[in-house]
Amino acid sequence: MTTVSKYVKNVFDSVRTTLVGMRITGKYLLQKPITVQYPDERLPIPNRYRGIHYLEQEKCIDCLACARACPIDCIEMDAVRHGKELEWISFTLDYQKCMFCELCVYPCPKDCIHMGTEFAFVSFDRSEFVHDLLSYRGMSRDAKTRMIEAAKKKKAKEEAKAAKAAAKAAEEVVAEPGNEEG
Amino acid sequence: MLSVAQSTESGLKESFGTNAVQDFLIGIKPEFVPAWAIPLTAIGVGMGIVLAIVALLTMFSTWLERKVSGHIQCRYGPMRVGWHGWLQPLADGVKLLLKEDLVPLGADRVLFVMAPALVLASLLGAMAAFPLTGAFYFANFELGIFMILAMTSTTTIGVVMAGWSSNSKWSLYGAMREAAQVVAYEIPLGISLLVPIMVAGSFNLIEVSNGQGGGFGIFNWYIWPWVNPFMLPAFLLFFVAILAETKRAPFDLPEAESELVAGFMTEYSGIRWSFFFMEEYAAMFLYCAVGSFFFFGGFESPLSSLAEGMAGTGSVLHQLAQGATIILKGFAGIFLMMWLRWTLPRVRIDQVMTMGYKYLTPLALVCVLGAGVWEALIAPLWR
Amino acid sequence: MSTTDTYEPSIAQSKGELLDSGEREYMLDVRTQDMEVNMGPQHPATHGVMRVLIRCDGELVTGAQPHLGYLHRCAEKIGENVEWLQYLPYTDRYDYLAAMNNNLGYSMAVEALMGIEIPRRAMMLRTICAELNRIGSHLIAIGTYGLDIGAITPFLYMFREREWMMALFEKICGARLTYSYIRIGGVFNDAPPGWLSEVEAFCDTFEVKWKEYYDLLMQNHIFVQRTANIGVISREMALDFGLTGPMLRGSNIDWDLRRDTPYELYDEIWKDKAFEIPLASGEKGTLGDTWDRAWVRVMEMMESIKIVRWCLDKVEPGPIIAEIPKTLRIPPGEAYVGIENPRGELGHYVVSDGGKIAVRCRVRGPSFANLAVLEELMPGTLLADAIAIIGSTDIVVGETDR
Repeated sequence: MTTVSKYVKNVFDSVRTTLVGMRITGKYLLQKPITVQYPDERLPIPNRYRGIHYLEQEKCIDCLACARACPIDCIEMDAVRHGKELEWISFTLDYQKCMFCELCVYPCPKDCIHMGTEFAFVSFDRSEFVHDLLSYRGMSRDAKTRMIEAAKKKKAKEEAKAAKAAAKAAEEVVAEPGNEEG
Repeated sequence: MLSVAQSTESGLKESFGTNAVQDFLIGIKPEFVPAWAIPLTAIGVGMGIVLAIVALLTMFSTWLERKVSGHIQCRYGPMRVGWHGWLQPLADGVKLLLKEDLVPLGADRVLFVMAPALVLASLLGAMAAFPLTGAFYFANFELGIFMILAMTSTTTIGVVMAGWSSNSKWSLYGAMREAAQVVAYEIPLGISLLVPIMVAGSFNLIEVSNGQGGGFGIFNWYIWPWVNPFMLPAFLLFFVAILAETKRAPFDLPEAESELVAGFMTEYSGIRWSFFFMEEYAAMFLYCAVGSFFFFGGFESPLSSLAEGMAGTGSVLHQLAQGATIILKGFAGIFLMMWLRWTLPRVRIDQVMTMGYKYLTPLALVCVLGAGVWEALIAPLWR
Repeated sequence: MSTTDTYEPSIAQSKGELLDSGEREYMLDVRTQDMEVNMGPQHPATHGVMRVLIRCDGELVTGAQPHLGYLHRCAEKIGENVEWLQYLPYTDRYDYLAAMNNNLGYSMAVEALMGIEIPRRAMMLRTICAELNRIGSHLIAIGTYGLDIGAITPFLYMFREREWMMALFEKICGARLTYSYIRIGGVFNDAPPGWLSEVEAFCDTFEVKWKEYYDLLMQNHIFVQRTANIGVISREMALDFGLTGPMLRGSNIDWDLRRDTPYELYDEIWKDKAFEIPLASGEKGTLGDTWDRAWVRVMEMMESIKIVRWCLDKVEPGPIIAEIPKTLRIPPGEAYVGIENPRGELGHYVVSDGGKIAVRCRVRGPSFANLAVLEELMPGTLLADAIAIIGSTDIVVGETDR
């Protein structure tokens, strides 16, 4: 290609590609934008979204499987066992460390920890990020009822056992040779 | 209202068009004020009006830029401050005023502070020669276009001062590139303007505009091929040259965002930065308006001929129509510049210089030659 | 390139020519020192926190030296301290733009040690996700490349497509950037109903938009002028420096791990001739310049769409994860698996001693190797070209530093 033809080609190429580009941007200039006006409008969040956790406290058995599965050890829980029932003291998740990997959800044997669709977590104080997932402290009413029932049952059982042992001892006393009515 | 000044034998029109303001001030002047204070006050008032016009133009241009860029990029742009964000520039201005006044360590303090002021002052000097309507202007220079080109050239000094005094290597890059680029593109800018000047026969902006009158306000514009077929290429060259002069994409290397953060403006914040910003948008408007004076009829449009027909030449309605016309044309040019900015990538500095010296200048000279031949030989046949 | 040169301004003087008039003429040559500019850790054009120390004479670059380590997060050391499955989220975070591929590489290395077989549906889903993520990563690569060159709008258009891709991933695994979806033994969640048809809709729309990007950015005369004949990597240079990925294919070297060391389903896909390997041909300017590398990335996006369509065609219901115990104890041994990341060859080398925790987990990041060529390419170009060259190597500093 000679210099002159290259020169002319340069000029025409510049103009042509500029016009092609302008047509594309012009097309989008006239279209409705695709963004939404957050926070007035929000995009729908799918229900598998990995957001802030929530705990179904009733089902949890304090087995620490989720705490062990966490790569960063952000879950800490504390409960006192009364037989089969738990008196909850705390169940905290430190969101300063959590990387929302969902490794804690899978190993739970009772399927009680989940990740929700909340993602906005703003605070002026660092301590608020150590989030307590409990919905009630101590024992729930049902758990208390069950514990009292279990204690009653246990007491009744022990009494029955004691009564049976006493009856058996009395029988044995009767069954001794000296006591038999001959 | 300011009145039309009388022409004299000398090249420059006298009394700066501020006769009405001066008469008013003479009327209310107390005894102890000396006589020479009157013209000075009149000039002060005039420049105040020019500054207000520049500020309003900048405000609207920044809003337009953000909305245009937003919609090109499939998003909205500012939406919260007023209806569709039209008060956003005001909010930005307030924020910039409240910012901390930083001068970098090791920077040349005098030059650092002077640079944005110099840049804005050059622009205001150029705006002084710009008539808003046929009778509302600060000064009606006989060599109007020369004054504008000369004053806008002096902004380069301010930019180089800003880049050098920032004591930052990246700012220095921006300043050096800017100096090379602006000086290079002055040449095709001036030469391409010679084509309409030849046809009009005058450097005075208002006379050039009046020369395009008649024909329902649209058919006598200089851009049309029946006036001179070399006008359209001249306008294209002029447009590319003003893109480079105002450092807009694709020639925005001096303030290349992704390379130099903000080029020569990097170390500036707050109100100092907003001076540069104002200068950029007001210069865009000024150049586009100058282009519309010389190529697209200036004050002449169907709207203004209608107003002239209805209310007579020089009437208030006619003046308002003229003002609206030139502002609309200026903003149409600005819109085109913005559209190009968001479409094209940046040209490298050596390619910028190649384009300026090897492509634009020879083509501009060819246009001038051709237009001159046309005007001298072919146009008199039917004019 | 030493940084401790002292400044010695010297004025060299010529011998002095005797003129006809009897006077002697001396030529003075004022020497200037090259300017050292820091394209520092914070810079809009280095993709991440990377420092490039540039020595330049005005606008001409005379030397360049990349400095790394600003984003080092001890990922490999952490691999020696957490269990096998717990390491997976860390793999997301080195090349955060193509996280699925990282997960895939690590999972494949551990599965090679375990010697298990992955169910077919899991492999299909893995391939679909990896290729969609390849598209997403290339979108950012080209978008930010355009941004460095000055074209701001294509970047936003490409992000619009990437949003769609991220929404697809959000539906399947819940996260938008760091997925942890491809796990050891298969994938974590099955695709929700309707997901596969959404992927198909994405493929259809993307083909239309792809043409737009090609016209708006790649064919633009100014873009071509900025990128053609810049940063030419010759064939010998590419092989010497150990470059992989689009850097290699941009110099017309035919090497793609998906075809040459096939893994997952790629040998089947290649046999069905469902995709091709785009090789640059020096269309605009010299072979191996930055335009060619950008072109390879743009064409690879289309090839990925073809692979995704093949998988959508042939996917069938079935198990999505192999039977693996809850506590993973990997049999002792060592394994290296290299996969085709959007940036090149991502290699995972894992060593196990039979326990719950790895002994060594070494990652071969492609950006680290690709970065070495910068020191060779940049001298002799202008400063604006230096930035174009850095953009064309498509470095992700998370992968370079880990």
